[in-house]
Amino acid sequence: MIRFICKRLLGAIPSIFGLSIITFLLVQLIPGNPVLTYLRVSNIQASEETVQAIRIEMGLDQPLVTQYIQWLTNILQFDFGTSFISKRSVLDEIMLHFIPTMQLTAVAFILIIVCSIPLGVTSALHKGKWFDRLTQLFAFSSVSLPTFWLGFLLMYLFSVQLNLLPVLGKGSVAHFVLPATTLALGYIGTYLRLIRAGTIEVLKEPFVLYAQARGLNKRTIVWRHILKKAASPTLTGLGMSFGNMLGGTFIVENIFAWPGMGKLLVESIVNQDYPMIQACVLLLGLAFVLINLIVDIFCGLLDPRIRLAGDR
Amino acid sequence: MKKRSIWAVFLIVMTVILSLAACSQQDAKETAATKDDKKVFTFSWSGDIGDLNPHTYFPNEFYSQAMVYESLVYYSEGGEIKPWLAKSWDVSEDGKEYIFHLRDDVMFSDGTAFNAAIVKKNFDTVLDNREQHDWIELINQINSTEVIDNYTFKLTLHNAYYPTLQELTYVRPLRFVAESAFPASGDTFKDGLTAPIGTGPWVLKEHKENEYAIFERNDHYWGEKPKVDEVFVKVIKDGESRVLAFEKGELDMIFGNGVISQDSFKFLKESGKYETKISDPTATRTLLFNTNRETMSNKNIRLALQHAFNKDAVIDHIFYGIENKADTLFPQNLTYTDVAVDPYEYDVEKAKALLDEAGWKTVEGKEFREKDGQPLQLELLLISTDNIQKSIAEFAQGDLRKIGIDVKLTSQELNTFWTTAFDGNYDILFTATWAVPFDPHSYLASITTNSSGGGPDYYALSGLSFKKELDARIKQVLLTTNEEDRIQQYHKILTMLHEEAVYLPISYQSNIAVYKKNITGVNFLPQEVEIPTTKIDRIN
Repeated sequence: MIRFICKRLLGAIPSIFGLSIITFLLVQLIPGNPVLTYLRVSNIQASEETVQAIRIEMGLDQPLVTQYIQWLTNILQFDFGTSFISKRSVLDEIMLHFIPTMQLTAVAFILIIVCSIPLGVTSALHKGKWFDRLTQLFAFSSVSLPTFWLGFLLMYLFSVQLNLLPVLGKGSVAHFVLPATTLALGYIGTYLRLIRAGTIEVLKEPFVLYAQARGLNKRTIVWRHILKKAASPTLTGLGMSFGNMLGGTFIVENIFAWPGMGKLLVESIVNQDYPMIQACVLLLGLAFVLINLIVDIFCGLLDPRIRLAGDR
Repeated sequence: MKKRSIWAVFLIVMTVILSLAACSQQDAKETAATKDDKKVFTFSWSGDIGDLNPHTYFPNEFYSQAMVYESLVYYSEGGEIKPWLAKSWDVSEDGKEYIFHLRDDVMFSDGTAFNAAIVKKNFDTVLDNREQHDWIELINQINSTEVIDNYTFKLTLHNAYYPTLQELTYVRPLRFVAESAFPASGDTFKDGLTAPIGTGPWVLKEHKENEYAIFERNDHYWGEKPKVDEVFVKVIKDGESRVLAFEKGELDMIFGNGVISQDSFKFLKESGKYETKISDPTATRTLLFNTNRETMSNKNIRLALQHAFNKDAVIDHIFYGIENKADTLFPQNLTYTDVAVDPYEYDVEKAKALLDEAGWKTVEGKEFREKDGQPLQLELLLISTDNIQKSIAEFAQGDLRKIGIDVKLTSQELNTFWTTAFDGNYDILFTATWAVPFDPHSYLASITTNSSGGGPDYYALSGLSFKKELDARIKQVLLTTNEEDRIQQYHKILTMLHEEAVYLPISYQSNIAVYKKNITGVNFLPQEVEIPTTKIDRIN
C-alpha cells in the first residue's frame, strides 16, 4: 500500500513540472503590454524611459528561459513575487481568496456526494419506477440550468420571498447554503446518473447473485458490495469535477458576493497582473493534481486490482 | 485494516472541512452583535476600500477616502469654494501665493492636533511623488510649501494658476493624514500608511477585505457630527445581487452611477415601496471621433453622424429617461460651460446630404455607401462588460445602417480597451467627462497632454488642423487672472469643439439613490463621488 502511494506521488512530479511550464508560457500569450497597463493603473506617465525602467524592474527584459528559471527558483522558496497591481505579496493575496473558495467548493463537494449517491443507488434499485423517473427529470433539468440564473432564482425564492436564508456574503453556516447548492446542483444531476448507471451494471454481476445466495441482507449487499464497485468510475469523475469547481466558481462568487479566488483571477487577467495569474493558475493546477492523487489512492483502497497492478 | 484506513482518511477530510467552516462562523456572530444596540446604516459598493490612503489611487475608492480625510477647502453647490480645514485664505496680487489660515479646533481621530506642520508634511510627501500625480496641474505648479506659524500655511506657485482652490478640494491626493499614520520612511505613496487616521467624520473600525468595512463616528470631529453611529459597507459586485440584497432588507440604500441596471431602478421605483432620487447631471457620456482616421478627418462625416444619431430614442428606450439628453460636451450648469451653441438636431435627410457631399454615395444594389470602391465602414470601440455602452452601440449600428454606414462594433476588456483607445485604433470611442470638480478645466487640460493620467482625447483630436491653437488656448485659460476674460476664452474653446463636431454627447450621467422609507437625509453632494453619510439618519 505504501509503495502504491509513493509511486503515485512520484508520478505527480512530472505533471506538476509540466504544469509550471504551461502556466508560465500561457501568460506570455495574453495580448497587450503589462508594463503599459501597470503604468496606467499606477497613474505614471508612460515615457520611453519609465517603460524601460519598469521592464527591467519586472524582469521582463530577460530571455524567457531566464525568466522561467528565476520564477521557478522563487516559487520553490514560496516566493510568488509581488502583484503588479496591488503591490502586495502574491502569496498573501491568494491565501486570502483561496480559503473562501476552498471552503465553498468543499461544502458543495460534500453536498454532491451526500445527495447523488443515495439518489443514484435508490433510483437504480427502482429502475423504471416513479422514483427513478423523478430523479431523471431532476437530473436533466439541473444539468441544463445556467448557474447565474439558478443562483438568482434560489436567492429570490429562499431569501427574498421566504426569508429563510441570507441573500449573500460570507459569515455563518447559513451563508454557505445557497452558493454551495447553486454550485453543486448541476453536478448532482450528472453524478446521480453516473451512479445509477454504474449500479445497474453491477447488479447484473454474478457476485451479487452469490451474495444473495449467501443470505446477506439487501442493505449489506447494496451498500457494501455493489456501491464499492460502482463508485470507482464516479470517484475519478468527482476528482476532475473538484478541480473544475475550484476554477469555475467565478459566477457563483460574483452573484453571492463571495470573497473568493474567481474574482481575483478574472481581475488579474483583465489587469495583466502576470505574477498573480501565474500563481493562481499554478495553485489551481496543484489542487487539481493533488485531488486526483487522493482520488487515485481512494480507488486503490476500494479496488485491490488497481493497487496490485501498480505493485507489479 | 483496509476498511479502517478508508474511515481514517474520511475523518481527516471531514475535520478539515468542518474546521474551515467553523472559522467563518465566528466572524458572523461578531458583526451580528454590533448591529443590535447601535444605529447602523448599511449600503454596498462594488469594490473593496483598499488600504484607505488619501495619497494613492487604485485600489482606493473615492467615497471611503472622502469619509475619513478632508481637504483645506470644500467644493460646494454651484462650484463655490467654501472654508473647510482652512477657515480663510489670502491670495497675493500676482496670484502666485496662497496663505491659508487653518482652523485651530481640528483634531485627528487619534487625538493629535491638526496644524500647519502636518499640512506641510502631507503636501511634501505628495510632492515627493510628483510624477504620480501630474494629471493635476496644481501639483506641477507648486513651487514651495511653508509653515508661517502654528495655524498658517503658505503655498507658493510658479504661475498664477486660477483653479488652485478648486483642485485643493479633490478627494485625492491633497488630503491629510496624522503624524502617527506616516510610515518610517515618510513616503506615504511608496510605503503606505501605518493606520488610516484622518480628520474626517468617520473612522475605520473594522475591515474584512473584499467582504465589508465598518466606519464609526469620529468623536473628535470638529464639524457637524454624523447622525448614525456606524456605516456598514458591504462589497457586492453584481448589480442584480445588490437589488436582491436591498429587497431582502440587508441594505438600507443603493447609491451611485451604473450600480444597478436601468430596468432594476425602474422596477424598484415603480414598486412604490422605496424612495428614489436622481441627481443633477454630473458627467457627460459621449462618443469621441478619431480625427486621425482618414474617414473621420472629414468634417462632413462627423456632422452626418451628429445628425443621424437618434438621442431621444436612446434616452427613452435605453435610459427610460433616467439620464437626460446631452447637446453639449459639458452640462450647462457648471461654471464657464453655459455656452450658446445650436445643438445638432436629429435629421436623417441632412445626414444623407452631408454624406453625399463628402463623396460617399449610395450604390445600386449595395447596402452601404461607397467612395472610390471602398465601403463606408466605421469601427466603434466599447468596453465589453459595459451593458449600457453595448446597448447604445447596437442601437447606433442599426440607425446608421439605414443611411448606409456600416458600423463595426469592437468590444474589448477594460484594460485592452484603454490601450487601444490611447493608441488611437478606432474611429469612434465611448468616453465620458470627469464630472465636477474636474470639469471643465481638468478635462480640457487632459486634451493637451499625451499623459496616461490624461485621456485618449489628445490623440483623437490631433488630426484637427487647429489642434495646436486649441491646446494653446486651453493652457492659456488656466493661467487667466481676469474672470471676464476667462469666461470668453472658455466659450471660444467650447464653441470650437462643438463646431468641429468631434464629440457626440449622448446623455448627462446622474447618480441614483434608492433607499428605504425610514432613511432620511439622502441628498446628493456636489462632488459626485461623495456619499452623504453624515447627513443620513434612520428612523426606527
